[in-house]
Amino acid sequence: MIFAPLESALTRTATPELDPERVAIYRNNCRRALARALSISYAAIERLVGTAFFERAAYAFIDKCLPRSACLDDYGTSFAEFLERFEPARSIAWLADVARLEEALNRALHAADADALDLSQLAGLEEEGLARWCFTPHPSLTLLKLQYPADRIWQSVIERDEAAMAAVDLADGPVHLLVERDASDHPQVSRLEPIAWRFTRSLAAGTPLHVALEDEKRFHSPEVIAALEAVLAGHLAAGRFVACGRTEPI
Amino acid sequence: MNRRIAEPSHLIPAAAGIGWRFPHHERVLRDRPPIAWLEVHAENYFGGGPARRCLEAVRRDYPVSLHGVGLSLGSAEGLDSSHLQRLAALVREIQPGAVSEHLAWSVVGGRYLADLLPLPLTEEALEVVSRHVLQMQEALQRQILIENPSTYVQFPHSTIDEWDFLTALAGRTGCSILCDVNNIVVSASTHGWSPVTYLNGLPPAVIGEIHLAGHTVERTAEGRALRIDDHGSRVGPEVWALFGAAVRRFGPVPTLIEWDTDIPALEVLLNEAARATKILSGSDRADSA
Repeated sequence: MIFAPLESALTRTATPELDPERVAIYRNNCRRALARALSISYAAIERLVGTAFFERAAYAFIDKCLPRSACLDDYGTSFAEFLERFEPARSIAWLADVARLEEALNRALHAADADALDLSQLAGLEEEGLARWCFTPHPSLTLLKLQYPADRIWQSVIERDEAAMAAVDLADGPVHLLVERDASDHPQVSRLEPIAWRFTRSLAAGTPLHVALEDEKRFHSPEVIAALEAVLAGHLAAGRFVACGRTEPI
Repeated sequence: MNRRIAEPSHLIPAAAGIGWRFPHHERVLRDRPPIAWLEVHAENYFGGGPARRCLEAVRRDYPVSLHGVGLSLGSAEGLDSSHLQRLAALVREIQPGAVSEHLAWSVVGGRYLADLLPLPLTEEALEVVSRHVLQMQEALQRQILIENPSTYVQFPHSTIDEWDFLTALAGRTGCSILCDVNNIVVSASTHGWSPVTYLNGLPPAVIGEIHLAGHTVERTAEGRALRIDDHGSRVGPEVWALFGAAVRRFGPVPTLIEWDTDIPALEVLLNEAARATKILSGSDRADSA
C-alpha cells in the first residue's frame, strides 16, 4: 500500500503494458535499502530475534512507515513502538525496550558535534549565582526510563556473552539510563539512581538548577541534595553540558 | 566550535578515483594509499560524530566529491528545505571539489522512497528539474553535476530523449553532467537505445565527471535479459568499451569507480581505477597496438 504513490505515478500515465517486473525492481530496491538501514540501526535486535524474523518485522514496518528524510541514519525512530504491537513479537515483552535503547544509542552515534561547556565560565560564581543558571545538554544525551533491564540485555548481545544474557533478571526494572557519545566517539549507556536520573532529566530539559534542586528538596534530606550537586559536578566534568545561561537577574 | 577545514577546496583531478565506503574508512585513514580522489554519499555525513570526523580527516589528504542521492530534484512538490540546509552546511564545512545529484525523484508526499525513480521526460519535467538545480546551486553557491540514471520504465508521454533532456538542463542552469557510462549501458539495453547515440548526444563541454560501475544481468520469466544496476561488481566489458569511446569524445575527465554493494577489498577498487587511468591516458591503446 505504501508504494501506491509510485505505482500510481507510473500506471496513471503508462500504458497497460507496463511491465510489473520493472516496477518490482524499484519496489525491491527501496524495501531492501530501508531494511538494510534498520539492520544497521538495530543490530542487537537482529541478533536477538535472528535475521529471518528481523526481516519479517522490518518489511512489515517499512510497509507501514516510510522515512521522512533521505538521511537513513534517522530512519526507524518508531520501530520500538511498532515491535510492541507486532503480533509475532508479543511474547518477547522486553524486545521493545531494547529497541528504545538501541534507537537512543544510534542517535547518540550520529548526533551533532558540540564542545563541552568551558568550566572556567562557572569558576568564581557564588553558589547563589550558579543556582540561577540552566544548562544545555550535549546533542547526544538521552535519558530513558525503561521497564526492563534493556542495558544488560543489549550489553550481553553486543559482547556475545551468553552467560551474561542468561543471568539477566527481567524483573530488575524499571531502569534509569543515561545514553551519550563519549569522548572516544562511542555511544555509551549507564545506569543512574532514580533521583539522580530525574534531576539530570530536569536539567537537560532546561530547568534552572535552583528549581531542579527545589523540586527534590521537598522529598529528600540535605545529604541527598548535596549528592545531587555532586551529580551535576560529575556531568560537567564529563562534558555532558555544552552551554549554560542565566535565567533571571541575581 | 570551528571545525572548518582551512585549506582551499581540492579540485577533482582528471584521473580515476574510487567511491569511499565504510568498510575502507579505517584502512585509508591509517595507510593513506595513493588514490587520486574519493567520492562519498552526502547523506551518510549529515550527522556528527565519528563518520563526520572520518570525512574531515580524509578531506585533509584527498580531494573529495559529495554525491547526493536523496534531494529528489524531480519532485514536483519541491525540495526538502531541511535536506538542502544540511547539505549546504556539509558543503561549507568540507569544501568538496565537486557536488553532484541525480536526474530522478525519490520523494512523494514528504516520504522518501529510498531509490532513484524515473521521470517522464517532458517540457514540464525539464522546467521542474531546472528550477530545482538552480535552487540547489544557489543554496550551495556552486555549480553542481547531474547524473544520468538507470531506468527500467519509460513514460509514453515523454517527448524528449534523455540525452537531449540532460543537454537542455545543462544549458538552462549552467550545471555540468556526470556521465554514468554503466547507467547508459543499462538504460540503453532496457529501452532499446543505442549507447553510442546517447554518448554522442552529450556535448563534451558540459561533461564534468564519469562514473563506472558494474551491473548484473538477470533473466525474465520469458528468458529476456534484464540488466539491473546494482553497482555491486566489476565494470563489465561493454562499459569499458563505451568508456573508451567516452574518453575519445570528451577527453580526460575525472572518473570514478563506483561500487556500492558487496564491497570488495580495497585492492579490487584500486585495480579498477588503474585500468580506468590507462584508458584516460590513452596508454591502453598503446598496449593493444
